Amino acid sequence: MAALQSEFVRNRRWISREKYAVVYALARITPGTNLLAFCAGISWELLGWTGAFVALLGLTVPAALIVLALTGSYEVLKSNGAAMAAIATLVAAAVGMMLAAAFQLAEPYLNKRRGVYAGTIVALALILSLGFSFSPIQILALAGATGYFWQIPE
Amino acid sequence: MNVFALYLLLCKAMISSFSGATSLPVVRHEMVEHYHVLTDRQLEVAVAAGRITPGPFGLYLVSVGYFVDGVPGAIAGFLALITPAFLIIPMLRYLGRHAEKPRIKSAIRAVTLAASGLLIATTVPMAQDSARTALTIAVAAGSFLFLVLTDRTTFWVVIGAALVGLIGYFVF
Repeated sequence: MAALQSEFVRNRRWISREKYAVVYALARITPGTNLLAFCAGISWELLGWTGAFVALLGLTVPAALIVLALTGSYEVLKSNGAAMAAIATLVAAAVGMMLAAAFQLAEPYLNKRRGVYAGTIVALALILSLGFSFSPIQILALAGATGYFWQIPE
Repeated sequence: MNVFALYLLLCKAMISSFSGATSLPVVRHEMVEHYHVLTDRQLEVAVAAGRITPGPFGLYLVSVGYFVDGVPGAIAGFLALITPAFLIIPMLRYLGRHAEKPRIKSAIRAVTLAASGLLIATTVPMAQDSARTALTIAVAAGSFLFLVLTDRTTFWVVIGAALVGLIGYFVF
């Protein structure tokens, strides 16, 4: 996103700094993948719906085809011992990646000022999910309402 | 499962998340626990395939869709990945001035933190399935520490994990 800011705002002057900031802020609160929302928003500002659509396809289609090829390969490689050994450690690594992603989501809040909020909300989400089988949607809705009324500082 | 239903379920997962990764608990809840159209192992492979590929995290939905319903499922997963991004356009039109309100920002922060807890909760059963030997436990722990303690990308974790698996296979 930083590279796009330098290119669109400073070098090409396609979009004002203020408009860029609004798109950036809204992309952060748009459900789904923030980067995709950001690219759709910037492209819509520049070229309307067509721009948004083309930007999203350009950003995702090549990567999606690679994912599809990799997934298809898994089906083919199921009977190959060496490949399955590599896949077994790969999926174990995926567990580590997910835990790292969870840590990195909470990391900016793990400080003196916001640590209580972070600890409480992460622990409650864990307890409600593992202990009381609340669905993820219910937990996220409860968290949103909690954050709205119990304000987490900047 | 009907392709359209698959698209709606994956879309619901994406719409309930504020970064690609946080859709994972919803996908697991719906596909593995509720509808039984996906196994934990397939979900782990989907996550790994999504992380190997450069691009946004939500790409694993393409792989999930493929496991559930072949190429039409992959297309459903792809469409579910990009659909929520279009929500920014009405938001730009009507909500731009509210995005910086403290209460809205606080609510988003709380949702992000809850998503972190949910991601840990989702990892528990997946870890029970995939990290059962000393080698796979070490790879899972090593991957976590590598990503948390260094600035390197998941690409290196993927390469390293695959190499460890191959060495383990040929040596032992």
